[in-house]
Amino acid sequence: MSLLLLISLIFYSFGLFNVIRTWRTKRKDLATQALVSTGAGFVVHTAALIWRAVQVHGVPITGHAQEAFSLLGWALVLYYLITYSRYKTQALTAFILPLIFGFTLAATVLPTDRPLSPQANMLRGFADSPLFIFHILLIMFSYAAFFVTFASGVMYLVQERELKVKRFGTFFFRLPSLTTCDDISYRSLSIGFVLLTFALAFGVYMNGERDGKLWHNDPKEIIAVVTWLLYLTLMHYRLTAGWRGHKAAVIAIIGFGLILFSLIGLRFLPGYHVFG
Amino acid sequence: MSILVVGLSHKTAPVEIRERLAFKEELLSAALNTLVDQEVVHEALIVSTCNRVEMIISANGDTQAGLERTREFLYKYHDLPRSSMDQYLYHHANEHAIKHVFRVAASLDSMVMGEPQILGQVKNAYAKAVETGTVGRSLMKLMQHAFSVAKRVRTETAIASNAVSISYVAVELAKKVFDDLDGKTVMLLGAGEMAELAMRHLKNNGAGRILVANRTNDRAKKLASELGGTAVPFENLYEYLVEADIAIVSTGAPDYVLTAAGVAKTIDARRHRPLFLIDIAVPRNIDPDVSKLDSVFSFDIDDLEAAVEANIRERQQEAIEAETLIQREVDQFLSAMRSMELGPAIASLKQQMSEVANAEFERNRKRLGNLSTEQEEAIKAMMNSLTNKLSHPLIMQLRQAAESGGDDKVIELCQNAYSRGHTRQQREEV
Repeated sequence: MSLLLLISLIFYSFGLFNVIRTWRTKRKDLATQALVSTGAGFVVHTAALIWRAVQVHGVPITGHAQEAFSLLGWALVLYYLITYSRYKTQALTAFILPLIFGFTLAATVLPTDRPLSPQANMLRGFADSPLFIFHILLIMFSYAAFFVTFASGVMYLVQERELKVKRFGTFFFRLPSLTTCDDISYRSLSIGFVLLTFALAFGVYMNGERDGKLWHNDPKEIIAVVTWLLYLTLMHYRLTAGWRGHKAAVIAIIGFGLILFSLIGLRFLPGYHVFG
Repeated sequence: MSILVVGLSHKTAPVEIRERLAFKEELLSAALNTLVDQEVVHEALIVSTCNRVEMIISANGDTQAGLERTREFLYKYHDLPRSSMDQYLYHHANEHAIKHVFRVAASLDSMVMGEPQILGQVKNAYAKAVETGTVGRSLMKLMQHAFSVAKRVRTETAIASNAVSISYVAVELAKKVFDDLDGKTVMLLGAGEMAELAMRHLKNNGAGRILVANRTNDRAKKLASELGGTAVPFENLYEYLVEADIAIVSTGAPDYVLTAAGVAKTIDARRHRPLFLIDIAVPRNIDPDVSKLDSVFSFDIDDLEAAVEANIRERQQEAIEAETLIQREVDQFLSAMRSMELGPAIASLKQQMSEVANAEFERNRKRLGNLSTEQEEAIKAMMNSLTNKLSHPLIMQLRQAAESGGDDKVIELCQNAYSRGHTRQQREEV
């Protein structure tokens, strides 16, 4: 277990704790504390990744699920910090930190020394290929972006409900405007989609390089393409038919479900695209 | 030195009484000079607004005398028989007075908590008193602290940050949909005081284009020119609604001016860009089913009232935070004040002790025989060190007592015991 990861997890927990407190009392210093904790956690998390990279003499992607979660958590923090610096939406912290905490927790408790499955071992052969590394990194960052789309989608739906039902409760006062939620959604969606497109392109290309077959009917491949199609549809209809706000939020939530399944659920299905 | 407050407010007296006891601005200086008599009342400040009249004074130690004198002044000044208005007056002393002043300045005692005017009013009253020369060290420290506490309350709690009137709350709700009103198009259907007020608020908050529609074209044109907008024909209202992001409806029509079917078409034409509708009319002008449409947010007058109530509840929640903050500031202020009084008391103590030491030395000098300069110095040094060491534990206790808010009696004791050589006046001037 990486000590650095554990420290960053503690920082994230502190942030999460403060963020929960802000929902009872609107003290502004609590929100700042949460942000600072998250930032501190990010710095330590970066150090943890660098340390792991040093340990494996290269990019920390060697087939272990732990690494995927660690990288994903890190990408999510980075994306969140960028979004926050632009929109200053304190509510976003409340919705994203639980995800950050979850992924980092997984990264802290999952082992890095258990022997890998034969499939994962097979993939290790790719570990030095820059394309492979790009593929993984692009996937992680696209997922991070889509997670933000999910979070702001949820925020949108909650705020919309408060406005429609006209009982102005806790959420109403703490959530940003609908337009802000939708803007964050749209921006992160666009970025996520571009990254995912490139990631899949690399993936397909590498398939071809390896054994000539571009497609294996592997569950992960299928889910990836379904996810990509979902976001493609969303982008298209946003641009043409004005699928904004409510509809976009619902689809973003479905997309999030797909991604989660791809990350976690697929481990229990057979296939060649599996990490140890 | 005590800080005292005597006054009345909207909480304790009706407006006729408040009127009777108010002070005119032009006559404040003279009033202040009458209040301060140097015997009992040393410093004074009078705050007189439509909702409160308060006299904040700094008096010599006797609390009761100070309060009596202030009440007496109030009655005499307004030519009223003694104690005639006692039922309407409240009074506070020392810690409670300080807390009251902080609370008032921070708008926690106002009719609408969080209102911005009171701070300015108190600052004006303070400036007047400074000008007149009735503000000394005590009141100066008190008021400066009150102003900084008020600022803290306004910035650190959300007590003043949300709308508590219908027209303001409409703008606030619009901002929850649009975030920024810059460049948004607002449409007014009909007319009416509240509607026009809301339009003005929207305009002040950045709304760009203004469209006005009325069954009477002339009325529309008049309103449009007043608001700096364009009049549009009422018959084509749905056409123009497509261009509007916000619409305020307030006509005398007995049936629905905006129907669900009509708005549904509008929202499609807008490609589901959000539409914010306010229905101020009774009976309602907007079909309630409109509210169920996607991307449409429609509020009638009851909804706006509910929003105002929610805001008030939020303010009350924030007020709890504010009260905690203020209590902490009061404790801090008291501690600082005690330390301030403590300084001279300790100085007196030390002085007294060294005077006694020197006197004893002089008295017993002959018995010591001829002393060399060196020996003299040694004895003087010993005396010094002796008095320091003897007084040190006592001084430590005093400092602790001051900081922890212990008994003021301790400090008084010290002052009484060790300042026989000084007059009260001299002590207070230090």
